[in-house]
Amino acid sequence: MSKKNVDLKPKNLNFSLRRTMAIAFRTMNQFRRDRRTIALMSIVPIVIMLIFGLAFSGEVRNVPVIIDNQDVLYTNPFPPISLHLGPNITDNLVADDGVDVTFGNYDQGIDSVELGDVYAAVLIPANFSELVVRMLTGENVTIQLYVYIDATKPTIRASVMSTIYDALDSAVGDRGIKLVQILAHDGAEFTGLDVGIPSVIAFVIIFLLVIVGTITVTREKIQGTQDRLYSTPLRSSERLLGYVIGLLLIAILMISLTLIFGVLVFGVKVHGNVFLLIFAALIFGIAHVFLAVFLSNFAQNELQAIQFAPLTALPSMALGGMLVPIVSLPVWLQPLSYVVPLTYGINLFEGIMLKGWGFKELWVDFTVVAGMCLLFFILAVVTVRNRMRD
Amino acid sequence: MAIESEYVIETQDLVKIYKTGKVKAVDGLNLKIKKGEIYALIGANGSGKTTSLNMISGALFPTSGNIRVLGYNVPKHRRIISNYIGIAPQDYSIFYDLSLEENVRFFSRIYGMTKAEFEPRFNELLNILRLEEKRKALAKNLSGGMKRRTSIACALIHNPRIVFFDEATVGIDPVLRTFFWKYFHSLKEDGITLVITSHVMDEAERADRIGLMRGGKLIAEGTPSELRNKHNADSIEEIFIKLSEGVIIDE
Ligand SMILES: Nc1ncnc2c1ncn2[C@@H]1O[C@H](COP(=O)(O)OP(=O)(O)OP(=O)(O)O)[C@@H](O)[C@H]1O
Ligand SMILES: [Mg+2]
Repeated sequence: MSKKNVDLKPKNLNFSLRRTMAIAFRTMNQFRRDRRTIALMSIVPIVIMLIFGLAFSGEVRNVPVIIDNQDVLYTNPFPPISLHLGPNITDNLVADDGVDVTFGNYDQGIDSVELGDVYAAVLIPANFSELVVRMLTGENVTIQLYVYIDATKPTIRASVMSTIYDALDSAVGDRGIKLVQILAHDGAEFTGLDVGIPSVIAFVIIFLLVIVGTITVTREKIQGTQDRLYSTPLRSSERLLGYVIGLLLIAILMISLTLIFGVLVFGVKVHGNVFLLIFAALIFGIAHVFLAVFLSNFAQNELQAIQFAPLTALPSMALGGMLVPIVSLPVWLQPLSYVVPLTYGINLFEGIMLKGWGFKELWVDFTVVAGMCLLFFILAVVTVRNRMRD
Repeated sequence: MAIESEYVIETQDLVKIYKTGKVKAVDGLNLKIKKGEIYALIGANGSGKTTSLNMISGALFPTSGNIRVLGYNVPKHRRIISNYIGIAPQDYSIFYDLSLEENVRFFSRIYGMTKAEFEPRFNELLNILRLEEKRKALAKNLSGGMKRRTSIACALIHNPRIVFFDEATVGIDPVLRTFFWKYFHSLKEDGITLVITSHVMDEAERADRIGLMRGGKLIAEGTPSELRNKHNADSIEEIFIKLSEGVIIDE
C-alpha cells in the first residue's frame, strides 16, 4: 500500500471572492465583445421612452378625491332667491365614476394628497351659493373653487379636473366660475414625458435584466461550461453571486444611459436625492437579477429563456400602474397590482424623481422591494444547481 | 475521509439511471486505476463512458455504488479532489465569447491560481498544444481541433494529478496526435494519471490498460497485449468489434 494518495492538501474550500469575481468578469466580458447587444440595450430604453412618454393616453376611473363642502344655504331678501348649490355639485361628483369621493376636511385632504393617498382635495367655500346669487343679481364678483391636486400624473390630473368642471357645469351652468388649482408637491408641473420616465426606468430594468440574465445563464448550459464547472472548486453560491455582480454592472450601465438620455434629451428633472434614486434602482435591479437567475432554471435553451422577459414584463406593464393607474383597474384586478414588482418600482422612481420624496415617504416601497430581493434570492439559492441534471 | 490505497480511482458497483428516459447508462461499473496509469475507456456510442467520467469527476451524482478518487469519497468530498483533477469534456465546454487566453485564465482563477502561477504555466501549455499564435483569438473562431486543444489547456492549467480526456483527440490531426501522446507519456512519468475515452483503436493500444464498456458494464479489461492474447485477436479493433457488438459474451 502506498501512502502517496493521502498527501493532498484540502484547499480552495472556503467561499472565495476571487472565484466570484472570475464569474462576474466573465459575465461582463461577453458583453464587451457583443457591441450589438450593448447598442440594443441603450436604444431599447429610448424607444420605450418615446412610445410611452409621448403616445400614452388612457381612460382614468375611480380616482380617489376628498371633498370639503362648506357651502351653506343662501337666501337673498330682494329679489327673493334661495340657493344651496354645494350638494348639487357633490351629488354630481359622487355619481361620476371618474372619481371616487370621500367627504372630509380640506386641510386633511391636502395632507392626504401630499402623502399620495388621494389625488385631489376639493374645497367648496362657505359663501359659494351667496356669491352665485350676487352674481345673478348683477354684481361683479369672482367665484372660486379650490382644487389641491397632484399634478405628477397629467392624465389623472386632466381627468379629475374635467370631472369637476362637468359637475360644476351641470349644477350651476357656465357662469365663469374659476377653478383654482393648487399643485401638490411644491407645485411642480410635469410634461407627459417627464411622468413617463420613472415608469420606463422601472420597466426597462425588469425587461432587459430578465432577458439578459436568463440568456446569460442559459448560454452557460448550452456551451456545457456550467456542467464543466461542477467538477471544479467553484461553489454554487459563488457562481450565483458572480452572475449577480456581473449583471448588475450591466444594469448600472443601462440605468445610467436611460437617466442620462432622460435628462439630456428629454429634459427630465430629478427632484429628489440622486443617490437615493441610484440606490432604489440598484435594489430593484438586484431583485430582478435574482429573479432572472431563478427563472433560468426553467429554460433549457435560449429560445425558452427569451420567453421569460415578456412573460414577466407584460403582466407588470398591465398591472403595475404603468399604462393605467392602479385605481382605474377593475376592483377584482387591483389586489394583483400589489404582487407585481413594477408597482413598487414605479412608486419609488416616481416618488424620488417627480415628487422629491425621500426614504421617510417611501419606506414601505423600499421595504417591499427589499423583501422581493430576499424572496427572489432565496428562490435562486434554493434552486441553483450544483451538479449535472439526471 | 482519505483512505490509503494504491489506486487513485476506484469505483464499486457504480450505477447511473437517468431520470429522463430511465436509461441504465452505467450498470455496476467496477474500475480500479493506479497512479501514473494511462487508462483507455473504450466502447460503442452510448455504452456509458461519458456518464462514468462525469460521476468520477463529481459533476454527476450516482444512483448507487461507491467512488473513491485520490482516497476521497466522491461526490461527498468532491470539492477537495476537484483541485487535483482536470477534465476535458467530450463537447469542448469552453466559453465561445471569450478568447483562448481568457478561457484558460478563467479556469486558473477558479482553481485559485495567482497571476504569477498562471503566466509560466500558460506559456508552457501554449507551446505544448501549439496554440501560441491563437492566444488572443476568440474561442468561437478557432477550428474544431483548436477548440479541443483550448479545452485541454483549461483542464491542465492547474497541474492536476488526474486528467480525464473524454474523446481528447477527436479532431486533432495525426501529426499533433502523435505529439500529444508523447506529452501524455511525459505526464505519466510525472506520476499523473490519465483516463481517456476513445474511438480510435490504435490510440487505445498506446494506453497502459484498456477497459471495454458495453451497456454500462466493463466487459473486458487488461493491457493491450493481455487482451489480444486472451481474445486471440490481432488488434484491439477486432476485439472491440466482436465484444462491443455482443458477438462474444465475455465475463
Ligand atoms: N443527460 C442524459 N439524460 C438522459 N440520458 C442520458 C443522458 N446522458 C446520456 N444519456 C444516456 O446514457 C447512455 C450512456 O451515454 P454516455 O454519454 O455515457 O455514452 P458514451 O459511452 O459516452 O457514448 P459516446 O461514445 O457516444 O460518447 C446513453 O444511452 C445515453 O442516451
Ligand atoms: Mg461520450
